Amino acid sequence: MNNKTTRTLSAAALALALGSALSIAALPAQAAGDMEKCFGVAMKGHNDCAAGAGTTCAGTAKVDNQADAWKLVPKGTCEKTSSSTSPSGFGQMAAYKAKS
Amino acid sequence: MNMQDAFSAVLLDPDTPYPQGISCHNGDIERRFAVYRNNVHSGLINALATSYPVVWQLVGDVFFQAMARAFIQEFPPKSPVMSTYGVQFADFVEGFASASSVPYLADVARLELLCVQAFHAADACAVDPHLLIHALNNPDSLGQLCLQLHPGVASLHSTYAIAALWTAHQHQGQIHGIDPYQLQSAVVLRNGLRVEVFAVGCGCAAFVDGLKEGRALELAACQALEADPDFDLGQALALLISHDAITGLNPTAEVSP
Repeated sequence: MNNKTTRTLSAAALALALGSALSIAALPAQAAGDMEKCFGVAMKGHNDCAAGAGTTCAGTAKVDNQADAWKLVPKGTCEKTSSSTSPSGFGQMAAYKAKS
Repeated sequence: MNMQDAFSAVLLDPDTPYPQGISCHNGDIERRFAVYRNNVHSGLINALATSYPVVWQLVGDVFFQAMARAFIQEFPPKSPVMSTYGVQFADFVEGFASASSVPYLADVARLELLCVQAFHAADACAVDPHLLIHALNNPDSLGQLCLQLHPGVASLHSTYAIAALWTAHQHQGQIHGIDPYQLQSAVVLRNGLRVEVFAVGCGCAAFVDGLKEGRALELAACQALEADPDFDLGQALALLISHDAITGLNPTAEVSP
């Protein structure tokens, strides 16, 4: 037997799979509108934007949980995400001064 | 050998004396050159540690630094762009005798390279869901449909539990209870700027490979079923659709008014 595939899938089977995929995918999608900017929770190099003067975009945070770097997180979860640099112990909605 | 080649050869090999014909205005040239050489090496080691954080955690700082130093001597950077430095690292790790007691290390490095490449891949928007629904309404041509994937999408087969090992070394991960000696395939997806790794069956990874190579839906699905009779096409498509990984359909279906 050569290595050319001999199996086939019916149009109905493909349609069923795509249909179920679309219905699963439609459920948990996190729309951008449901996100909030969260300061102090990004791992270094993985901030979405803003990491201080001169470095204004993604992936520039120098340390983990940098106080002036933010990350988009699902709405309502920012102030519940722990941050080692934050005086409150959790992420904040605005840039803050890191505790020493 | 011109002076620049001689300089860079000496720079990479810590056992050679400083290059002839250079001088400095602030002190002992031998010491100043040693400081410069050390900075170059640490910068490259840091670049590798940033690209391969799980490998770094698996073997620890001392071992990683020694392994990275050996790599740097064999594969000095060819480009100033550090995000592309170290593409040969996984192959190097595989052949690095001292790392042979950690046989899964090379595949973890391969997975981390895919993550770095996904992070820096070009942006692409998810396909309009109406086009998918339209395709669904024309089941007879569904088999010939080609799905274009986001340029960051990648898959990897391994004889080790690479996705579980990777996940265990992320923020809240737990390494306890993971058996690295389990076959596992992984799919790497980037959604927005977030790179995610999913443990999948080898059928799903084969399906992603097929789509990336431009195979039509039916052929890619059949090959996935040959790789793994338990392959679930619906689940694989749901994973890709829900992470905005399908960016186009070809032949592009026209949305009827």
